[in-house]
Amino acid sequence: MTLRDYFLAERVKLLPGGLKQPEEAERWTPTNRDEAGWESIAHWFGRALGPVIGRVRVIPFQEAEEIRLRIKQPLLLQTTRRDHFLDEKSASVSWQQAYAVTSADLQEALERMTYSSIYAAEQELRQGFLTLPGGHRVGVTGETVWQNQQVQTLKNISALNFRIAHEVRDIGLTILPYLLGADHGMKHTLLLSAPRAGKTTMIRDLVRLLSDGVPGLRLAGQTVGVVDERGELAGMRQGEPSYNLGMRTDILDACPKSQGMAMLVRSMAPQVIVTDELGSPADVEAIADAMRTGVKILSTAHAHSFEEALGRPILKLLIGQGVFERIVILSRRKGPGTVEKIFDPRDGREFFNARGKGRSED
Amino acid sequence: MSMIAGGYFLLVMGCGGLGLWIAARVRRRPQELREAMMALTLLDTEIFWSSTPLPEAFAALEERMEKPWRLFFGELKQRLRRGEAAGEAWRDTIAAQRAVFCLKTEDWSLLKDVGKGLGRSDRQEQHKQLELIQRQLAPLREQSAVWAEKQAKMWSYLGFMLGVVGVLILI
Repeated sequence: MTLRDYFLAERVKLLPGGLKQPEEAERWTPTNRDEAGWESIAHWFGRALGPVIGRVRVIPFQEAEEIRLRIKQPLLLQTTRRDHFLDEKSASVSWQQAYAVTSADLQEALERMTYSSIYAAEQELRQGFLTLPGGHRVGVTGETVWQNQQVQTLKNISALNFRIAHEVRDIGLTILPYLLGADHGMKHTLLLSAPRAGKTTMIRDLVRLLSDGVPGLRLAGQTVGVVDERGELAGMRQGEPSYNLGMRTDILDACPKSQGMAMLVRSMAPQVIVTDELGSPADVEAIADAMRTGVKILSTAHAHSFEEALGRPILKLLIGQGVFERIVILSRRKGPGTVEKIFDPRDGREFFNARGKGRSED
Repeated sequence: MSMIAGGYFLLVMGCGGLGLWIAARVRRRPQELREAMMALTLLDTEIFWSSTPLPEAFAALEERMEKPWRLFFGELKQRLRRGEAAGEAWRDTIAAQRAVFCLKTEDWSLLKDVGKGLGRSDRQEQHKQLELIQRQLAPLREQSAVWAEKQAKMWSYLGFMLGVVGVLILI
């Protein structure tokens, strides 16, 4: 049974974009939405690059993932399927003809992205990225200023990676039914995937669905506590999340997971606690503590496969203890957010397998 | 006869009024300089102690300052929110608003320096830069107070005197 069949059978309303097949993208013509999309991010770039980005018409905005600015290198736009080099007229050309990014472009872009207040973004630069309104994230590299055993800030910026945020509504619906128990309660869940396979997007949408509730699945809205250590899930800016994480969600921003979980349990009485990127030894204790209070855990970790996850001591420990009741494996096989497999690690029961039942991961 | 006397009177009063107006403008210069220093201190505090991004820092200044500085920081805030770089915005705001102020070219040349590198470095650097400009502004303000006192006195008499001289010539 494919996911689509499942939803038809279960009469879960599947909105467009929820299960986009790659073939659909082939028949693409620019729309007003693309135009608006590109224009909405153009103002973050400087006087020379802004118009170039704003005029992009050859690439659908929804498919664009990253805009790469590297000093003296061609302007590069990466989509889910391929790389495009852009020239001054925003056309996709060979790298020799592409617009070469200058140091002034980088400086101006960084100035705009920090509202001309680089000093105010020091803490973000220390982590290596900025979060812009709308949830776009900008990775920054340059020369680090090293002091007192830690990175103070970055200077002489050499590259920016503008990761375009797309809110993919209801993508979480594709896996949520498998994560619920017979009592319509959430199971302890771990999402595994390689980078850029839509892990954060997926978990973000799951948070929203859990928080708002899904009548179609008879899922009541739950109080969700999010510990957003790296500021990726919510994209908080001055106390306001860039993404809609639902109406029953409390967010603890930039807080270490282990402390954050305890703080949330004490203060906000969550039913589900959500974190991303499990992997430090302190997480084990914190998760055990949280579980004692009856809280459900939803988390993610970097790993291409279940086997790779077992190779990491902390994850192996957590999985070995039988903490997680559901493991979801995502990949980029059919674009980001492709669900490969959903299973129960305690007894190996498979609930979904994209490559047909019984076939193991290769 | 009385018409002519009235005319003389108006001439003296007119010239005198003009003189008093210039004197008042002259007196505003040290005051504006003092307020500029205060604004820079506040800006420094916002940047150094609370790492406030510039648009918000300017909004705070707009609230705290009196006219004409209030308008100045208001325009800056708007420009930055539109996405202009701080250095350009500072320069352009000065160009647009300097006529409203009673400051002299030497004051502006110093104030223009504030825009150079504004927001482009870390807190320490910003702090140093703002402090340096404040240190340069301090003697300028002292001098301007003495200068303004003399000039204001001169203009307030000179206006009437010129009026009287004009009358004498006419007679």
